Amino acid sequence: MLIVAIIIILALVFGISFYNGLIRKRNQVTNAFSAIDVMLKKRYDLLPNLVETVKQYTNYEEGVLTKITNLRSQAAAGQLSNQEKLDLDKQIGKAVSGMMISVENYPDLKANQNFLNLQSTWTESEEQIAAARRNYNASVTNYNNAIMMFPGSIFAGMLSYQPVAVIENTVEERQNISAKDLFNS
Amino acid sequence: MPVDFRNDPAVQLIIQTLEADRKVIAEAKRKSFFIMGGGAIVLIAGVSLGLSYFAAVPGAAIIIYGLVRYSKTTTAFSIYKDAFKKKVVGAALRDIDQSLIIEPLQGMTESEFDDTRLFSTSPDRYHSEDQVSGKADKTRFYFSEVHAEYKSESTDSKGRKTTTWHDIFKGIIFAADFNKNFHGVTIVRPKDIGSTIGSWFAKAVPGLFGGDSQVVELENIEFSKTFITNSTDQIEARYILTPAMMDKLCELNNRCSYTVSLSFIDSHLYIAFPLDENYFEPPLYKSLLDPSCLERDIYIIRFMYDIVKELDLNTRIWGKA
Repeated sequence: MLIVAIIIILALVFGISFYNGLIRKRNQVTNAFSAIDVMLKKRYDLLPNLVETVKQYTNYEEGVLTKITNLRSQAAAGQLSNQEKLDLDKQIGKAVSGMMISVENYPDLKANQNFLNLQSTWTESEEQIAAARRNYNASVTNYNNAIMMFPGSIFAGMLSYQPVAVIENTVEERQNISAKDLFNS
Repeated sequence: MPVDFRNDPAVQLIIQTLEADRKVIAEAKRKSFFIMGGGAIVLIAGVSLGLSYFAAVPGAAIIIYGLVRYSKTTTAFSIYKDAFKKKVVGAALRDIDQSLIIEPLQGMTESEFDDTRLFSTSPDRYHSEDQVSGKADKTRFYFSEVHAEYKSESTDSKGRKTTTWHDIFKGIIFAADFNKNFHGVTIVRPKDIGSTIGSWFAKAVPGLFGGDSQVVELENIEFSKTFITNSTDQIEARYILTPAMMDKLCELNNRCSYTVSLSFIDSHLYIAFPLDENYFEPPLYKSLLDPSCLERDIYIIRFMYDIVKELDLNTRIWGKA
């Protein structure tokens, strides 16, 4: 009788701790995406200043600058899904990278301290976002492993937990310090 | 082809002067050992012949005379050693980079050693010397020889206490200004059974061990096989340990006989290289004119200096000047 009671108590403790563990892992995924979100917002705050500085010193394509401004407005508007936020960030990143390379042809701009500060802050934010994405992917992998492997799969079925997709890193992120090239002219 | 600093006439003159000093000190040491050895023979002979205690006096007197002579060579040897480090090793350092200097009596302080958090044990006995410092392009760095030990005491059945000293670390600790700003603490230690079990528990039961440091699971397979990473900030740890940085650290570690430990604190990088040898010590019974006598010292200086380049610490594009 005592043995049965011990087994039941152990099974309960194990079940509760596993259940809590799954919830914790799921929350970690949510938190990890929030961290990306915060860093993206921080980066978008740089955009108006960056665009204005480039405008003052160059006759860089007005269309591209307008596009960057519009993309920033969309990002700031909110109501976007996680995937939409990432897609939008990819587009903004691509447009700004193109702009950064083009401004190499403008010595006055390259000598501007404000622009140099913005450029290094932008690069810093890119690396921080890459780190936040890697953190998100680590949390997702941890969560996916927990819900796909026995006995987590049983609890996951009861809770209707589904696997979450990891964020694919871009080639630039894998190279990681490619932004350095922007400074080497 | 680079010109060897030893071909510089000024350095040659220093080496020749020190070589003359070395010969005098080596000879004096040999003589004092010989005298002490002779004294020991006289002492043993006197005691074993069964004469009175007075028979031991001549032997003891000879040994004392030998010890006095030996102590005189110790002072001369300290002067020779200091001159070697400052003038010969100093010249080797300047040959690599004009900013490099050696301070033989300086080292990493014990409090800084503790602050690096490279090791979980605090030392009971600590010694650090031969601090080399300078700048490789934009990056300021220094390294010192460190020997840190802790003691354990045991008592046998008769109540006698025995103190045993154990190494926490013996080798060189390299410190450099890191090229990114960060506020948390990230520690990278060699992976062993203890740390693996510890990290499993820390992951399975968060908060069990207290503290705000968490295990960071990184994607680089070779890096994760070799090291265990703890940090107060998961994202910041990945900001520091980028995929490229992890590759470079694995490459650096592969060139060392023992696995290195690293810590990233207050925008500084610390690397502990466990080593068996004592560096920057002048030869006593081997000629200073032998070109091979400085080889391992120059190798270790070059190795430390090149870390800045290998880890790309001069790339300052992340908002840190």
